[in-house]
Amino acid sequence: MIEIGFLKKENLQAFLKELAAKYTVYAPFAEEDIVSFKPLAEGRDICLDRPANLSPKSVIFPQYETLFKYSFLKKEDSPDKVDIKLEEQMDFKDTVIFGARPCDAKGFTVYDRVYKDSDIPDPYYTGRREKTVIIGLACPAPSPGCFCVSVGGGPADKEGSDILITELPSGYVFEPVTEKGKALMQSSLIEDGKASLQEAQKKQEETKNKVKNPFTKTGKPEISQKIFNEDEFWEQALSKCVSCAACTFLCPTCYCFNITDESRLKEGERIRSWDACMFFHFTLEASGHNPRPTKFHRFKNRVGHKFVYYPEKYNGVIACCGCGRCIRYCPVSVDISKVVDDLCEQSAETNLTSNGGKA
Amino acid sequence: MSMEMLRDVVKNVLSEVDVVIGYTEGFDKVHATPLFINTPEQVDRLIWSPICVHNLTTYLPSLKKKVGIIVKGCDSRTIVQYMQEGLINRENIKIIGIPCSGVISVKKLTKAVDYANIEDISFEKDGKINVTTDKGQKTLALTDVQPDKCRTCQYPTPVIYDHLIGDPISSDKPKESVYEDIVEFDKMTLEEKLNYWLKEFDRCIRCYACRNACPMCICQDSCIAETREPHWISQRLTTQEKLMFHMIHAVHLAGRCVECGECERVCPMGIPVNKLKRKINMDMKDLFDYEPGVNPDDKPPMYTFNVDELKIKEHKIG
Amino acid sequence: MSGVDPKQELRIVGFLCNWCSYGGADTAGVSRFKQPTDLRIIRVPCSGRVDPLFVVKALLNGADGVLVSGCHPRDCHYSDGNFYARRRLEMLKRLLSFLGIDNRRFHYTWISASEGARWQQTVRDFTEAIHRLGPLNIKREA
Repeated sequence: MIEIGFLKKENLQAFLKELAAKYTVYAPFAEEDIVSFKPLAEGRDICLDRPANLSPKSVIFPQYETLFKYSFLKKEDSPDKVDIKLEEQMDFKDTVIFGARPCDAKGFTVYDRVYKDSDIPDPYYTGRREKTVIIGLACPAPSPGCFCVSVGGGPADKEGSDILITELPSGYVFEPVTEKGKALMQSSLIEDGKASLQEAQKKQEETKNKVKNPFTKTGKPEISQKIFNEDEFWEQALSKCVSCAACTFLCPTCYCFNITDESRLKEGERIRSWDACMFFHFTLEASGHNPRPTKFHRFKNRVGHKFVYYPEKYNGVIACCGCGRCIRYCPVSVDISKVVDDLCEQSAETNLTSNGGKA
Repeated sequence: MSMEMLRDVVKNVLSEVDVVIGYTEGFDKVHATPLFINTPEQVDRLIWSPICVHNLTTYLPSLKKKVGIIVKGCDSRTIVQYMQEGLINRENIKIIGIPCSGVISVKKLTKAVDYANIEDISFEKDGKINVTTDKGQKTLALTDVQPDKCRTCQYPTPVIYDHLIGDPISSDKPKESVYEDIVEFDKMTLEEKLNYWLKEFDRCIRCYACRNACPMCICQDSCIAETREPHWISQRLTTQEKLMFHMIHAVHLAGRCVECGECERVCPMGIPVNKLKRKINMDMKDLFDYEPGVNPDDKPPMYTFNVDELKIKEHKIG
Repeated sequence: MSGVDPKQELRIVGFLCNWCSYGGADTAGVSRFKQPTDLRIIRVPCSGRVDPLFVVKALLNGADGVLVSGCHPRDCHYSDGNFYARRRLEMLKRLLSFLGIDNRRFHYTWISASEGARWQQTVRDFTEAIHRLGPLNIKREA
C-alpha cells in the first residue's frame, strides 16, 4: 500500500482515462480564455496552470436540477378528481473532480455543514457529495485578489480534498487525505512518491508565503459590529456595485437556491436553481414588500452571511474560501476583502466574529 | 491632458453637485474601479489612464441627485441617448469630458501575457505598454490589447460635455469600416452562425452582469428575464434559454445601444454579447439612417415611424 | 396540396391582428377555402402588440415558422400600431439570419378582413416554404 504516491507527467492522461472507466471525471479545461470543469472528453485540453473561472461547485450542486417530475392523472372511477403522480430524479453517478484548487475544495465543506451534516440533510446534495471523490491540486501560485490563508485555508490546505496532489517539474505527488482518496491510488500508474514529498512540501510552503493578507488591521477578518450596522458605511463602500450575480455565481461557497414549478398542461417539473442574494427578487415577498430593497442591504447580507452569520452558527468557520473570483470578475472591481478590512477595527471590543454574536 | 487640471475641475464641479463619479485604483494594477467623490479630500484618489474602462454613466438614471461625471467619448453617447429617452434631467448632470485615445481590455491583455499574473503596468506616450508579470517583462502596443470598440472608435472626444480636459482628438478610423466585422461574420453559413452562438451562449451562467452593467438596461429590477408572470425564461439552464435571454437584451436595445461594450467587458465567461447589438445598430443605420447617442434631438427609431418607409420593402414568402 | 406532405405536420405559429387578418382567416374559413393545417393562430389586438421576442421565443421553443399578419399600412384600427410593428419586425427579420436562423422561417404581411383568398394563398405559400426548409432543430440541452 503506497502512502505517498507519484504520477509521472506523461502518465496523467492515462491515469485520468483509467479513472474515467469507473467514474465521470471532471477536470479543468480551457475553452479559449475560459477555464471551467467539464467531463473528460477527446480534444479537450486540461488546464492546471491557471485557476478555473468557474469553480467546480456545479458538479455537486448543479446550477439547475430537476428535483422531481409530476403529472396530473384523471381518476378513472371519478373523473372529476385528479391524482398526482410524482417521479423522483435521484440518479447520481460516481464522480471524480480532478484538479480542484484547495479553495474550491474547501467550498464543498462549507456546503457540507448546511446540506449534508445538518439535522435535515438535503438528499440531492448528499447523494452527489457521497459519490464524489475530490482530487485537489496544491495551488502553484496565488492569483490577483486571492487571500485564502487569511480566511482559514491555504494553497495546500487539505480540507475538502480526498487526495491532495502537488505538481513538480516531473510529475505529481499524491497525498491521500481520506479513505475514499486512498482507494483511488491503487492504480498501477501511481508509483511510490515518498522521496518527492519533501520537495512538494517545500513548494507548498513557498506558495503559502506569497499569498497576500488583505486584512491590514487585524490580520484576520474580525468585523466590528458598530461599523457593520452603519448604513453610511455600505452606501459609501458599495455605491459602485451594479447588483449582478457574477460574484455569487462564481463563488465556491455561495449555496442559495430557488425552487420553481415549471408546468406545461398536465405535467411539470420542480426545479432547483442557483439564486443570488444580489438580486432584487431574492427577498421580494408576495406582498410586494422587500426587506432588502437596495444593493446596499443586499451586499451587507452577502458579507454578513460569509463573515458573521455563518461563523456564528458553525464554530467561527468563515464561509469564504478567499479564491478571489468575486474580486477578479466583478464588473466594477468591488473588492470584498477591502470591504471586510474596512469593517474591521483595531482592538475592537465588539467584534461579531470573535465574540460570536450580534447584540 | 493633465491630472492637475482634472482634479481642479472635479473640485470645482464638486462644489455644485452632490457627488462626482470618477475612477480610482482597483485591487490590482490593471483594474480601475469607480470612485464616488463626496468630499474634496477624496479628489486626490482620482486616476486617469487606459485602465479606466468603465462606462460610469450607467449609474445616472438611478441617482436622484446632482451628479458630476467623468466620461470618455464612447461613454458620452450614453448621456445623449438618455436625453433622447428622457431618462435624465440634463440640468442635474455636470459632464467632465476627457478625450480618449483608447483603453485596454483586461481580457486581451491577460491573454497577451499568456495568463501570467500582472504585477505592474505603465503606459508610454507613444502607445507602448510595459507590463511586468510574475514571469517577466513584456512590451506591448496599446492597439493590440484594446477592446474592439476602440479599433473603430468614431468619437474619441465626448459628444457632449460641460468641461473638457485636454485638447479634442478626432477619429482617424474610417467610418465605412465600423461594421466590417459584422458584415464579415454574416457571411458565414446559417449553420456556422447558429453553432457559433450556441457554443458561445452555452457558457453563459446567467449572472446578468451584462444586463446590470448595461447603461441602457433601465428596467433593472423589473427585467422580464426574471418575472414569473409572464414567465419568459425558464429556470432551466439550457442553451436555448440562455440564447433567449440574450435576445431579450439585444432586442430591447434595438436602436438604443451606444456600443460602449460594457456587456462584453463585464462578462465573466468571455461571451461576445455586444455583437448582436452591433448587428442591429448596423441595420438601424441602414434602415433609418440612425446612430444612437449622437444628437440629443433625435428620436430612437423604435419610438417612431414613417408612414412611408423608404427602406422597408414588402417581403415575398420563401 | 403541392409541396406539403400532410403526413409530416410542422409547427407554424401565426400572430394575427384581431381587426383584419383574424377576420381574413375567418372569411377564408367561412368561404371553405382549403388550407394546410400546420398553422396555429394566436389572436392579438394589433400587430403592434407583437413583440419581436414572441417570434424568437416561438422559434427557440419548437416552432418551425412564425407568421405575423396585421392591417394594411394606414388601415390600423388604432391608427399607427402596424407602423411600429413594421419597424420592429423588419429589425427582427434582419437579425434572425445573423443568429443562424433562416429568416424565411419568419414572415410578416398585411391582410384585411375581406381578403379571404389572399389569406388562403399566404398560408399555402408560407406552409410550403416552411416544408421546404424542414423542421428547425435548435439544440435543446446544454
